[in-house]
Amino acid sequence: MTRRYRDSESVDFVVVGSGSAGAVIARELSRKGFDVVVMEQGPRLAPQDFEHDELKYWLDSGITNNPTLSPQTFRKTPADVAKRPGAGDQNSLIYARLVGGSSVHFTANYWRLHPVDFHERSLLGAIPGAALEDWPITYDELEPYYTKVDWEIGVSGLAGAHPNEPHRSKPYPMPPMPVKSSGVLLEKGARKLGLHPFPAPLAIASQAYRGRGPCVHCGFCMGFGCEVMAKSSTLFSMIPEAEATGRCEVRTESYVFRVATNTRGRVTGVHYFDADKRQKFQAAKAVVLSANGAETARLLLMSANSQFPDGLANSSGMVGKHLMFNQGSSTFGVFEHNLNEYKSVQVTRLVHDFYDSDPQRGFYGGGGIDARIGPNPIIWSLDGPEGANWGKSYKDHLRTFPRTMLAQGHTTSLAVEANSVSLDPELKDAWGMPAMRCTYKDHPDDLKFALWLQGRAAEILDAAGAQKIWRLPVAEGSEAVHLLGTCRMGNDPARSVVDRFHRAHDIPNLFVCDGSSMVTSGRGQPTMTIQALAFRAADHIAKFARRGEV
Amino acid sequence: MGEAARTRREFLSRAGGALGAGFVAAHWPSIAAAHAHALSAAADRTPAALGFFTAGDAHDVEAISAQIIPTDATPGAREAGAVYFIDRSLLTWHAPRAAEFRSGLADFREKFAAAHPGGAFATADEPTQLAFLTSQEKSAFFSHVRALTLIGMFALPQYGGNRDGIGWQLIGFEDRHVFAPPFGDYDRDYPGFKLPDRKT
Repeated sequence: MTRRYRDSESVDFVVVGSGSAGAVIARELSRKGFDVVVMEQGPRLAPQDFEHDELKYWLDSGITNNPTLSPQTFRKTPADVAKRPGAGDQNSLIYARLVGGSSVHFTANYWRLHPVDFHERSLLGAIPGAALEDWPITYDELEPYYTKVDWEIGVSGLAGAHPNEPHRSKPYPMPPMPVKSSGVLLEKGARKLGLHPFPAPLAIASQAYRGRGPCVHCGFCMGFGCEVMAKSSTLFSMIPEAEATGRCEVRTESYVFRVATNTRGRVTGVHYFDADKRQKFQAAKAVVLSANGAETARLLLMSANSQFPDGLANSSGMVGKHLMFNQGSSTFGVFEHNLNEYKSVQVTRLVHDFYDSDPQRGFYGGGGIDARIGPNPIIWSLDGPEGANWGKSYKDHLRTFPRTMLAQGHTTSLAVEANSVSLDPELKDAWGMPAMRCTYKDHPDDLKFALWLQGRAAEILDAAGAQKIWRLPVAEGSEAVHLLGTCRMGNDPARSVVDRFHRAHDIPNLFVCDGSSMVTSGRGQPTMTIQALAFRAADHIAKFARRGEV
Repeated sequence: MGEAARTRREFLSRAGGALGAGFVAAHWPSIAAAHAHALSAAADRTPAALGFFTAGDAHDVEAISAQIIPTDATPGAREAGAVYFIDRSLLTWHAPRAAEFRSGLADFREKFAAAHPGGAFATADEPTQLAFLTSQEKSAFFSHVRALTLIGMFALPQYGGNRDGIGWQLIGFEDRHVFAPPFGDYDRDYPGFKLPDRKT
């Protein structure tokens, strides 16, 4: 009973993007009685369309933005000329381009932010070279919405399992996933060191949940779509529920390239290309951008007109700035017996003892360490320990695959104003629109902390009895799937793009909610927070609409 | 095929219970079809045709890949058909880098001929091959062959390499859609998670 709207009908809301945030907002607004059209660049796939094809999904843009059709350029600093990736290489900023967005291919680690994430600027003071700010909301304001994510989206985990767990008003709706060997070993090593490992919260069904079956432990979560719908992607949760209201249409292969405004400075709808690259216009009373932390900023910049010459919602000049990725570090442990990490979900145990930034270390940073498979065979095989990377000894290294686990560090990225999404001055995409240009160079503290946390990961693996420990070098950020901070929330219209309710400071009927809203990066795993923000934003947006304030 | 059938049964019984057997039964065929296709490609012993390489190219590339993942007590890149994977890749998903590969190969051969007049890499003895590859291991071309060889070891057999699942056997990876705990040797006797002591 999916509703179809005509372009000429002015619907209550157009939501741009059907991913982690857009699908939540569409479901909430349609359930509250509003007519909603969701515009999605990509196609709609069914669970049985997803494949265990690592080459296609990891090396050939199977479901992600394609570097040929949607090319990007990259540079480290504004002084450099941005270049396209080499032939055959991926874009810098990667997202899944289909209904459900990156919630289709994510790993499904669902960490809440901690209360401290919201006020680190007040706590730690200014950090040279960074634009660290407090959020305009607190953990307590967001907590009910985190709980909503747990229950509405479907998260498995164990409440009260670690001492610095943030306050939660309700337990998880499902028990944690069965522990894997990597989880047992992380738990053993961490406990020996006096740390507090705990079961990882995952947006994966550990038992039947709301019509979806439990995980069958196939091992293809990270970068793949779930063929049994156990992963709590919005493709399987929010989207069908939105459509079931009879007031929501998900319009696929519809690429919004401009948000239109009228002389009163209000948005009137969106211009988009349909599947045949024909230009169309969908009228709307209000527009919500949830196109992800890269595409949302690009769309605002592409929507520049004579009234808004620097792009929509950009009187502050902050649109596209403060891009954050999340840094990280990879430490592998090889054990005596088989772990067979390629089976089941990526992560079953986690350590958050190094979550808070500690000024004693001499640099900013915080993070978590989880026990995981790491990449699937192809990607795993490409990088090994330092030393010979081919021949007899490398073949022996490859044989360690079933005995290997990865202790992955997930860490902070400081907001730096120069790190940004902007429009490339020359390169166009396959639709003739300006290509996305990424400018990114880690704040030095981001690299220092990632390296520091790698040391802690190695200690845990050692305490767990690893026979061999090897590390991948901590690399400068040049590609990312966490696309954060480019339309930051804030109370000051001169320093932020949207207010605490996700309304653009400059345009009362334009809202922005996705990774771009985040003021700080958290310690990794941003989707949980993006969706909590989306549930909260939808409540407020509906309130404004009912009062006639949009 | 016995394996595929077993996987299918497990899948149906485990996933079907909660999802509704109807859903899985309706959607299983396409999942199974992809899997069966991979298996039949892997079992196909007829020699694959070359599309990008000449026979001479293929001999050299195969010889390089066979040193990258050599044959020892177990099969290596040669038996996995890595060269056929590379050949097909350069015509399909990896075509944007085909020209670079071709000129890299020409350059590689020229250098080898300069060092060993009248010789071809593929027919050189092993010490000669190893010494020459060691001299080239920092080159972009060697890195390229290395990466494609590894990808060809572990990509789905339908792409032309990983014949008979040789790559997966090397790394102890089972190509199945359903597993159940215990997954490995360390989670077998796990006593259960103990909540932390709140006194600390």
